[in-house]
Amino acid sequence: MTVDVTLNVNGRPHSLSVEPTETVVGILRERLGLTGTHKDCSMGVCGACTVLLDDRPVSSCLLLAPQADGREIRTVEGLERDGRLSPLQQAFLTHGAVQCGYCTPGFLMTATALLEENPKPTRSEIVEAIKGNLCRCTGYKKIIEAVESVTG
Amino acid sequence: MSCRYTAARTTAEAVEALVAAKGEAHVIAGGVALVILMNEKLVEPSWLVDVSRIDALHGIDRLSDGTVRIGAAVTHREVAESEIIAEAFPMMSEMAAEIACGRIMNKGTIGGNICLADPQGDPPITMLALDATMRTVGPDGRRDIPVREFFVDLYETALRDDELLQEILIPPMKPGSITAFGKYAARKAMDYTSTISAAVRLIRGAGNGRIEEISLGLGGVGQTPVYSEALEEMLTNVRPSDEVFGRVRERLFAVMEPIEDHLYSANYKRHVAAVTLRRTVMKAFSGTWEGEGVLIR
Repeated sequence: MTVDVTLNVNGRPHSLSVEPTETVVGILRERLGLTGTHKDCSMGVCGACTVLLDDRPVSSCLLLAPQADGREIRTVEGLERDGRLSPLQQAFLTHGAVQCGYCTPGFLMTATALLEENPKPTRSEIVEAIKGNLCRCTGYKKIIEAVESVTG
Repeated sequence: MSCRYTAARTTAEAVEALVAAKGEAHVIAGGVALVILMNEKLVEPSWLVDVSRIDALHGIDRLSDGTVRIGAAVTHREVAESEIIAEAFPMMSEMAAEIACGRIMNKGTIGGNICLADPQGDPPITMLALDATMRTVGPDGRRDIPVREFFVDLYETALRDDELLQEILIPPMKPGSITAFGKYAARKAMDYTSTISAAVRLIRGAGNGRIEEISLGLGGVGQTPVYSEALEEMLTNVRPSDEVFGRVRERLFAVMEPIEDHLYSANYKRHVAAVTLRRTVMKAFSGTWEGEGVLIR
C-alpha cells in the first residue's frame, strides 16, 4: 500500500505518495532531487545523512517518510539565505573544514542545530554535539575550529 | 514487497491493528533499531504499526504516590533532560545521556529500547535495578508486568503479539537509596559488542560502612539484560571488600554466559563485568569512580 504524506522540506510542502518503508534520505535524493543529503552507512552510525526534523538532528536513513508526515525537514540546501552561504557554511570554507566533502552536509546540519540551541557553545560542547558525525578523512580539528569561529 | 501502515492515534487503534495482523505486525516508535534491520533486509515488515503519535505513550509524570510514569514513546533525549527523572532516579539521567549521539537520542525511545530487549541495552538494566513495572495494553485491557519477568530470551520479551507497551512505572526508591550507572567499552565509540554495563541502587547502613540492601542490573553478560538475586544477596549486609568482590567475581564466572564474538571471549566479558560491577557498586557506595579505562561514568 502507499501512504499520502506531506513533507515540508526547507519550508516547501511536497505532497507525495510513498511506500511506508521508504526512508526520507531516499525521497530527498531520488524524488526531490535534493542530493546534498548524503547516504552512506544506512545504519544511523555515520551522520552523513543528518537532517533537522522540527529543528533537531536525526538520521534521515532511519526516518520513514510517514513518520515525517506534516513535520518540518531542513537539509543542507536550506542553509543558504538569499543565495549566500550561512555563516557556518562560510566558516567551513574559510577554515578548510572540508576535505573529500562527503560528511560535510551532516556536520553542517548537526552544528547548525547546536548553534541554534546554544549560540555560544564551548569547545567541549561542540565536540560532544558532533560526536555522532564521522569524517573518514579525519579532519575533525578544522571542523571544530570552523564551528568555534562562528560562536560569536 | 508492499507493506501496510497504520498511523495509530490511540492505543485502541494500535491494538486493533496488532490483532488484525495476527503476529505479522512490527511496532515502530522511534525506528532507530527497526529501520536498521529493514535497511539491512533482515526484517521486511508486512505491516507497520506506528505508535509514535499516540498521546498516551508520551509524557513523564510523577503520580501522587511518588511513582514516576514514563510513556513508552518518550525519547532518550526527553529522559536525559527530564527534571522529574533527574530528581527521582539520578542514574537514569546519566544512563540516558550516554546512550548514543544526539541524533539517535532525538528519535530513539525508551519503550522501543526496552521492547528490543537487547542484552547490551542500557535502559533495561536500569529498569531492573529500579524494579520498574511494564504496563502493557492489549485486546483484554491492561497488564502490569514486573520488569524481572519481562526479558525472556534473546530479543524476546513477555509482550504478546497483540500487546503494546504503553508506559513504564518506576516506584519511588526507599529512603536513603543511592544509585549509580557504569559502562565500559574497549573503545569509546562504535564498539557495541564489548560494552558491559551495570546499574545499581543501594542503601548504606551501619554508619555508612556497609551495604544494607542492593538491587542491580547487568548488561552484556547474557542472552538478556540480567539481574541476579544471588549476586544481590552476596552484596547485602556486607562491608564492600576485596573478599566480597572476589566472591562476586567467582559467581559471575560460574553463572554468566555472555555472547562471545570474534573480538571478545566470554571470559573477557565476565572479567570486564566483574570489574564494571565493582566500580559501579563503589561509585554508588562512596561516590567515586575508581579506575580508568575508557570511561564511562
